[in-house]
Amino acid sequence: MLSYFITRLAQAVVVVFAMSVIVFVGVFAIGNPIDVMIDPGATQAIREKLIAQYGLDQPLVVQYWTFLKNVAQGDLGTSMVYNIPVVDLVFSRFPATLELVLVSVLIAVGVGIPAGLWAGYRPDSIGAKMIMALSVLGFSVPTFWIGMLLIMGFAVELGWLPSGGRGDEATVFGITSSLFTPDGWSHVIMPAINLSLFKMGLMIRLTRAGMVEAMGTDYVKFARAQGLPERQIVFRHILRNISIPIVTVLGLELGSTLAFAVVTESVFNWPGVGKLIIDSILQLDRPVMVSYLIMVVILFVLINLVVDLVYARLDPRVRLKGGA
Amino acid sequence: MSKLTLKSAVAALALMAAAPAVMAADLVVGLRAGPDSIDPHWSTLGSQAEALRHVFDTLVDVDEKLQLKPGLAVSWEPIDDTTWEFKMREGVKFHDGTDFTAEDAKFSIERIPQVTGPMPMTLYTKYVDSVEVVDDYTLRVKTKGMAPSLPNDFTRLFVVPSETGMEAGNEEFNSGEKAIGTGPYTFVSWQPKGDLVLERFDDYWGGKAAWETVIRREIPEDTSRVAALRSGEVDLINYVPASDYLAMKNDDEIDTFVSDSVYILNIAPSVKDEEPQPIKVNGEEVEGNPLQDLRVRKALDLAINRDVLVNVVLEGLGTPANQLMPEGFFGYSPELGKREYDIEKAKELLAEAGYPDGFEIDFTCTNNRVPGDAVVCEALAQMWSRLGLKVNAQALNGTVFFPAAAREEYTMTMSAWGTLTGEAAYTYGALVHTKDAEKGFGNFNRAGYSNPEFDRVFGEGAQTLDPEARRKLYEEASYIAMEDRALIPTVILQTVWAADADTINMTPRVDQETRAYAITPVE
Repeated sequence: MLSYFITRLAQAVVVVFAMSVIVFVGVFAIGNPIDVMIDPGATQAIREKLIAQYGLDQPLVVQYWTFLKNVAQGDLGTSMVYNIPVVDLVFSRFPATLELVLVSVLIAVGVGIPAGLWAGYRPDSIGAKMIMALSVLGFSVPTFWIGMLLIMGFAVELGWLPSGGRGDEATVFGITSSLFTPDGWSHVIMPAINLSLFKMGLMIRLTRAGMVEAMGTDYVKFARAQGLPERQIVFRHILRNISIPIVTVLGLELGSTLAFAVVTESVFNWPGVGKLIIDSILQLDRPVMVSYLIMVVILFVLINLVVDLVYARLDPRVRLKGGA
Repeated sequence: MSKLTLKSAVAALALMAAAPAVMAADLVVGLRAGPDSIDPHWSTLGSQAEALRHVFDTLVDVDEKLQLKPGLAVSWEPIDDTTWEFKMREGVKFHDGTDFTAEDAKFSIERIPQVTGPMPMTLYTKYVDSVEVVDDYTLRVKTKGMAPSLPNDFTRLFVVPSETGMEAGNEEFNSGEKAIGTGPYTFVSWQPKGDLVLERFDDYWGGKAAWETVIRREIPEDTSRVAALRSGEVDLINYVPASDYLAMKNDDEIDTFVSDSVYILNIAPSVKDEEPQPIKVNGEEVEGNPLQDLRVRKALDLAINRDVLVNVVLEGLGTPANQLMPEGFFGYSPELGKREYDIEKAKELLAEAGYPDGFEIDFTCTNNRVPGDAVVCEALAQMWSRLGLKVNAQALNGTVFFPAAAREEYTMTMSAWGTLTGEAAYTYGALVHTKDAEKGFGNFNRAGYSNPEFDRVFGEGAQTLDPEARRKLYEEASYIAMEDRALIPTVILQTVWAADADTINMTPRVDQETRAYAITPVE
């Protein structure tokens, strides 16, 4: 178990390092952020002073080395635009994204897996066919468009829900979240549904595929012959057996949604990290771009680690060995 | 903060549902962009100045047409070639109750070089040599050489109390600790990219503002901003996209406010001896740079149908431009007539210049900096193709465009330029004057344009303190540059605000600022 962790950790360090090189070189290639930010009235002297102040006149290798040294000292840099440390900036917005993503994943799993199970259990029923048709819509219709439709319908026309933003916050057991207030829920529900549709479609199709395959296997036949109730067969035996691909995809989706829920956040004006990173890219706020992407890599590594641990829990044949 | 949001949302909802005549004491504004910091000396960004104007006052203010008017300084005059004297307004109080004096203005000028951000305000103090407090209400500024435009530079000079201290930075301002100004509103709270909440300052020298509470909410996505207005979440929005403008104009439930902006889309043809991207005829690179020939530049200009650009391409949200600044700005040349559209004459000129069959040219624009830049870019390419040119038009994200433009990699570009100071020195000095790092001119002259005649007249203007004489010289300089097609202006962009019908009175501003204290509820 310990050697497993050490190997994973070493892998993670290599991935993070490689990513930092790629991101750094990529950002460097785009050009000088001062030329994007600078005021048109600025003189050449001001421009040169700025470039020197941010060390942008140094060769790429020197700039990268400075960056590495700072990271090693725990300093991920300070936003050029806001003059706020990147870590503070990201974490001031992360709770909003986390809320949104958690609710949307709960919706996706809560609706998607039972629907998928049903669609696989009775593949020829009308209900199953409708579920499958809807699941296609879920990942083929653009999020942006569905978001606008939701806003037009529920906020503008019916006036039931707010058109955007995050609601009131409350603190329970030291955790501050908008999910503890009714106002918060009225704000989160639309963007969360919007964000969940793609994942829901994915969950339905994965679960159904696993279900259809499992229904024909020997263990299900034996269980039936044994006289076990259907409920127990589906939820105790089949679900557990088909969980591995579902958990894998869910893990990946969780990571990418946390990091890049940009479209939904923009449409619903949700104050999350996705919007932050897009704005930073448009302004070429280098420290935020580089450090954020590195944080994302770390996030993915962590999620994958959790996914592996869940595998072991779900499937006793999976052993956590070094190099796994 | 959240309570206020709820309250105002409810108020706005009630306003929409019940009668349009119901008055709200709060104003919630949905804006495309907000400040980057609450430190008024952090950045030169327009959205930053616009927001902080509610909390802090400037020494010199500007009216809706960007012409100077008294702010914290009631008058100013040059007392010799290198000294300006500013008289301070008496009886002005800071939000913490202390009195405003010339000492605070001196501190604010001296603090600017101490703040080190990526968009430094030092460009507003570049002429300042030293500042002297004569008495509580008199300030003298010694300048490096003659500086006729100093009052214009001070229109962005926000005044903070001298007790602020040089050590105070973004953190102290963002937390509200140091966010103390003399402005019409006091600072309550702010989140980066979120809400800026303001409370009315009842002792404001300019008279009490109409709204008790103002929330400036950032909603960068155009469609979301429109939806926020339509759902009653906000009372007023800025930068209504052209696509929604037409629908809103015909909607009885919505009022729209339209104004020319300071932004003009200009074409910059490179006149260097060797153009950065080759210009070709029949696939062969031509000798020399055709754009150096005035006849070619004139032909390009004559082939542009500005009425089509305005009425068709921009859906009415623009005005044809004949120079780099809108009418009424200091140095606007009344001599320049309306630009004509004459494709036959353009073809003749092109043939005279030796290109009867046109040529192939690269044309690069921005696509996200101002509304309409990408569509105007494509339309221009089509108009020139009627002239017989093969135009490879490319509209790029500003993040890519600006660094490459700064490296002077493009043969012909189009981008927006805003005369933010309302006078010619800012625009013509940066775009048209021969590049001269020492004098600080021509730093955005990427076309390599250089005209000794222009430089002489412009330079004389920059050395003339008498405003009327200076205005004449700048008008002449504008005329020379435009007749020479140093840059080819196309259209003045317009900005649109929208609010629920019959709820607010506002005069739209040419600088696109949304000043809550200048907005009043409909009685």
